[in-house]
Amino acid sequence: MAEHRSAAMAGKPVVTIKLASTSDELMQCFALRAAVFMGEQACPYWEEFDGNDYAASHIIMYVDGEPAGSMRLRWFQSFCKFERCVVLKRYRGLGVHHAINSWCKDFARRKGFTKVYLHLQKRHMAMMEKEGFRRVDERVFKFSDHEYYAVYCELPPAADAVCLSTEPMIMNRPEDGLDVEGILEKSAVRGATNPHAPHAARVTN
Amino acid sequence: MRPIAQSIGGELVTTKLAMRMEDSLQAFAVRAACFIGELDVPFSEEFDGHDFGATHVIAYVGDEPAGAVRLRWFQSFAMPERLAVIQRFRGHNIGGMLLERCRAQAQARGCNLLYAQALPRDVGYWEKQGWRRLVPEEAGAEPKRIVAMVKAVDPSKPLPEIEAPEAVVLRRDGQLDSTGMPHGTVSN
Repeated sequence: MAEHRSAAMAGKPVVTIKLASTSDELMQCFALRAAVFMGEQACPYWEEFDGNDYAASHIIMYVDGEPAGSMRLRWFQSFCKFERCVVLKRYRGLGVHHAINSWCKDFARRKGFTKVYLHLQKRHMAMMEKEGFRRVDERVFKFSDHEYYAVYCELPPAADAVCLSTEPMIMNRPEDGLDVEGILEKSAVRGATNPHAPHAARVTN
Repeated sequence: MRPIAQSIGGELVTTKLAMRMEDSLQAFAVRAACFIGELDVPFSEEFDGHDFGATHVIAYVGDEPAGAVRLRWFQSFAMPERLAVIQRFRGHNIGGMLLERCRAQAQARGCNLLYAQALPRDVGYWEKQGWRRLVPEEAGAEPKRIVAMVKAVDPSKPLPEIEAPEAVVLRRDGQLDSTGMPHGTVSN
């Protein structure tokens, strides 16, 4: 918060990035993608909303409180796939694209991933090289009216990456708030009352 | 105004009411593409808090969502707003088809007046769709930011008495009794 206040005072845009965790936030991600891909790039609806939206994590970025950008992350065995990255037209040129990229990289690292993969519109190669991405190979492929490269980026392993020995109650927290006590930890004060069991068999402690 | 196309490129043009989550998302996507993507309207103005007290109509070309309109219900009128057609589907009067579906829906509900708020540059469009200004244009008057337009649900009957103040319905329902407009909205 202190950081936000000082940014606001300096007249810089205040950027907030989080995992979309409510239907409102998810809807904001969808609206931004529709604005950019359907509105600006004439992408058909069924190509933009391709059936993978409910098998992914969606990241929403706010600039000064307004929905400004979004990314979809899909999780494969050995890499995280960044997709559907958008920054609304009015927020371009502020460098916020870098902010969402690096937030998503850290998010993936904390989940234990050390590789990011994405399909990059050719015209964005220079920009993404600066973000540390390299081409996987020489393939060039086409879909939704653009030419793409397959690119990847190695991530340094995170010391606090979630693994099997991670504290179970840390694993239960919202994935973008693994360092903050979660609602399920608070639920522990109710004890193991076994509400599913017949009333007489319940343990009260 | 062109006649309403029954098909475009061999694909049937149809309309339906948004009934399910996925339908609503399609309507929102069309609006986001047109208003946020093309016209640079901020998200919080486009999705202004009225979306879940309204009926959405969606137009399809084949199975592709091509247009949408939001219809809001008041005691004395129904209000189509957020009328949008995806750029590549324009020129076939899909807008007319959506407005006609609104009219039919209003008729089915026993509503006899349609009311809309148009940008001055769009007044000609609404007039071609059979609408007229609520208040006749005065020569020499200061140009309005928003023009109130009306249409009878049954064109064979005279327009009923109209009581809608010109700006009140722009506000969020929760703000109807306040003097404020939604945050970020330019006042009328």
